[in-house]
Amino acid sequence: MKAGLEVHQQLAVGKLFCGCPADLSEEVTEAFTRSLRAAGGESRAVDVAAALQASRGLVYRYEGGPSSCLVEMDEEPPHPLNEAALDTALTLALLLRARPVDEIEVMRKIVVDGSNTTGFQRTALVAVDGELEVSGRRYSIPTICLEEDAARKVRESPGEITYRLDRLGIPLIEIATGPEIVSGAEAREVAEEIGALLRATRRVRRGIGTIREDVNVSIEGGHRIEVKGVQELRLIEEYVDREVARQKFLLELRDELGRSHARVPADPPLDVTDLFREVASGPFSGAGRGGQVVLAVGLVGFDGLLRSPPGSEERLGREFADHARSVGLRGLVHSDELPAYGVSEATVAAVRERMGLAKADAFVLVTDRSHERASMALKRVVERARVALEGVPGETRDPLPDGRTRFSRPLPGRDRMYPETDIPPIPITAERLERLRSHLPERPEELEARLARSHGLPIEVVRQLVYGDLVERFESLARSGHPAGLVARLLTQDLPAVSTGAAGGLPFEPSLETLGAVLAAAKAGRIAKEGVPTVLSALAAGAPSVEVAIERAGLSGFSKEDLIALVRKVVEANAEIVRARGEAAFSPLMGDVMREVRGRRDGREVSDTLHAEIARVRARSGP
Amino acid sequence: MSDISPHDAWNELSALPTGQRVELSDAEGHTWSGTVVPRHDFSGDRVLQLKLESGYNIGVRIEPTFHFRLLGGSPTAAAPTSRTPTPSRAADAGPWIALLTTGGTIASRVDYETGGVRPVKEEREILDFFPELEASGRVRIVPVFDRLSEDLVPDDWRVLAEKVVATFATGARGIVVAHGTDTLGFTAAALSFLLVDLPGPVVLVGAQRSPDRPSSDGASNLRAAVEVAHDSRIGEVVVVMHAAPSDDRFAIHRGTWVRKMHSSRRDAFRSRNGPPLGVVEGGKVVLHQPVKAPAAGPPRVDGPIDTHAALLWFYPGLTPERAARFAEGCRGIVLAGTGLGHLGSDHLPWIRAATARGVVVAMTTQCLEGNVEPYVYSTGRDLLRAGVLYLGDLLPETAYAKMLWALGHSPDPAKVAQLLAEDRAGEFHERHDPRETA
Repeated sequence: MKAGLEVHQQLAVGKLFCGCPADLSEEVTEAFTRSLRAAGGESRAVDVAAALQASRGLVYRYEGGPSSCLVEMDEEPPHPLNEAALDTALTLALLLRARPVDEIEVMRKIVVDGSNTTGFQRTALVAVDGELEVSGRRYSIPTICLEEDAARKVRESPGEITYRLDRLGIPLIEIATGPEIVSGAEAREVAEEIGALLRATRRVRRGIGTIREDVNVSIEGGHRIEVKGVQELRLIEEYVDREVARQKFLLELRDELGRSHARVPADPPLDVTDLFREVASGPFSGAGRGGQVVLAVGLVGFDGLLRSPPGSEERLGREFADHARSVGLRGLVHSDELPAYGVSEATVAAVRERMGLAKADAFVLVTDRSHERASMALKRVVERARVALEGVPGETRDPLPDGRTRFSRPLPGRDRMYPETDIPPIPITAERLERLRSHLPERPEELEARLARSHGLPIEVVRQLVYGDLVERFESLARSGHPAGLVARLLTQDLPAVSTGAAGGLPFEPSLETLGAVLAAAKAGRIAKEGVPTVLSALAAGAPSVEVAIERAGLSGFSKEDLIALVRKVVEANAEIVRARGEAAFSPLMGDVMREVRGRRDGREVSDTLHAEIARVRARSGP
Repeated sequence: MSDISPHDAWNELSALPTGQRVELSDAEGHTWSGTVVPRHDFSGDRVLQLKLESGYNIGVRIEPTFHFRLLGGSPTAAAPTSRTPTPSRAADAGPWIALLTTGGTIASRVDYETGGVRPVKEEREILDFFPELEASGRVRIVPVFDRLSEDLVPDDWRVLAEKVVATFATGARGIVVAHGTDTLGFTAAALSFLLVDLPGPVVLVGAQRSPDRPSSDGASNLRAAVEVAHDSRIGEVVVVMHAAPSDDRFAIHRGTWVRKMHSSRRDAFRSRNGPPLGVVEGGKVVLHQPVKAPAAGPPRVDGPIDTHAALLWFYPGLTPERAARFAEGCRGIVLAGTGLGHLGSDHLPWIRAATARGVVVAMTTQCLEGNVEPYVYSTGRDLLRAGVLYLGDLLPETAYAKMLWALGHSPDPAKVAQLLAEDRAGEFHERHDPRETA
């Protein structure tokens, strides 16, 4: 297999073509609706993907607020390109040893899914032919682009999609690698390295969705598949591995279909609504009423090949269903899964008879209130079935949270870019490159070495800081005088543990001031370092201040005297064991005591107290 | 350039035709390969613009030491092909309307040589943009001009008016005029005075985004304009454009009331001093104001126009000498004065001299809303005594168009003044509703 990545990173330098802030906002002050038409580019050929989208006839609703202006509304021509964004892209190009172009021309890339009010995304090629080394392997970086982010989808209802304009126009750096990645694990590693380089510029936005990856995967005999918009870096590996498995499955299926002399008849969908009138439950129960139709197509020689083969999670039936969904249906039913869904053996037989199908043939059923939509869905299914005879269709797929992917649209064609005539070409001067070259940021490996050296931290911890995008916060807190080890532990261990456990789905992102206050409380001995996670959890649960969080976590008011009293109580209760086992009693008793202390006193203090108390009891009883 | 040697690669590269594939290599051996695309007007010196295989265009600065070789094939320069067959003119079944094209954004496409947009000329090209026009079978296309509206002159208004009359004579029920938006307000006002006894609507329409963009407002504006042109209640000149940023609501403006109030918004066109006549919503024409009904008689062009007139915007620092020079050779001057219709009092001498010569001097307000009123301040009273004619709530542009029309009707300044003061096309508002004016 081979895979390549396209990494898209949002920049925190304002928007690319207007003066709006690059911040997301829930405030909506403006709403309007638009429709888009497929328009030709330079050669006027209407792009396949563009035509497909336009054919859906959707209405797009847009919501604007404090992070959008007339430019995002496509009511004003773009302003000149954001120079800080271009500097950042060029800086990255230099870090990747790429060659900047002499003159940048901003292009329009046709995108008519409504995510751009203009119907195109503005994008520019900034540099080519870079390279990256990860774990001793070299990867080519053919292109580095600067482009505008799309609006973000907030709602979808039949016939209408709602987008928020806040994200539209945020600068994105797009870094493409060559197809030289050979495993899912390697893909993740390369993505992490590129992420660290991007953050080295200190001009990137952070948080969920600020870095997104497109993963291109193909295997020998397969086809390029683009998994678009992966936000979870840790899932890249899984998407790649599963996509490889899916393509292998499709190639084996092709051979299987060949052996069974499968073919896809050219017959139009057949209306079999009358055969389903008696179905009492399931998706077909409304057949024949309120205009609900049932349409069928037959697939010669496909019987048994629509379901998953033993030991595989892949099945052609799901591929069909994804295509049916792409025109707005909820799904479909095929003969390999029948009888089921309230459809009896007799009905299945009746369908087969009506369609003149043999035992080795399969059929696919869809039901919908719109005859047109139902037959459109079957048309897509038939197209997909034809490609199954040839192998793997090239397509764009959406990543799902469980590591699977789903058909989104055919791979876009090539004729989809034309010049953005509202923006003149931008020369990249030698002086500009010289200025950037003399101020290059620290590379991740240099940063690692410096942090390890100056803070005396183990290299594994430093790497967690660098790859976890934690360096800025670490340095800021360490500069304020907090012990480096404690800060590193807070950022790399305590905080992630709370963040993933936070309720309500919203990430827990405390301010630097808050983190500083927690560290100060630990330093002053008001909480133990073991108590830090508990205090963070209380903050994540809504405690308005660190003081209140300490209170709510029940960590306040446990004095040294309280600790001594507690230890004494535990040791006295276990005096028999202490006398019998001596120092060996320490471990089990320490566990008991720590459970009671719950982070209110420092672990070392607890252990010292316990040792002293054990010694006292043993001395009292004598040898 | 003096530093170009006879062997300079630029000599040959700069002469390559568009569509030629080429591979360039610099002194360090770095190569670029792509297709030559038209050079951008604002591209730098010695920069060759290439479309790379990826589809991106870039500029390569050609050093004298560059090597290059020509490559075969031209994958990215496919010849333009029409998406629609030759238009059928068989719109005989049922009422039909005519689309008169004059150029402008609504009928323009991107010009990749200049980087700007250029008007299209061919009927076929227009149908390429708006295939639904042909599908409706109710529209015939009549090309008139192919110019951006800033290039249209007052004599073109008359040519256009003649064309409207001639087209009505062939049986059109209504007429849509596709027009550039920059001076659309002027043309709408001029046609309002030039066209009389209209048997149906004359609807001016434009676009703020060119039709080669997926988000163009041209198609939806045109659809709405076609609806209005079919409306049998209307016998006057109107403008139909977006009423808001949304693509689903279109305002119908009286030709004499409307003004382009924004340089780029879709809803740039606004009626001043009151609400528009109506809207098109959900494909339906809804009228909110009384409109002029269609006339029974044949339409005609009401007289010639005289272009010996000027529109002068007063501003602090405008000297009487400069203004007087500006007025030279004019039979009529429209002033866009401050506030209620004022000019600096040092301008009174040249104005007195002009009116004494028989020049018609008319006053409007650069506030763009509200009446001019000479009696409130002494400046106004002085201007009135100097012979300035106060034109109510007419927009400066409307007053200018009306001035040209009125001058064409009489050599007598008094008669011209009388025509200017009369309501000819519903251009004056009798009342100003506080809820409808900003």
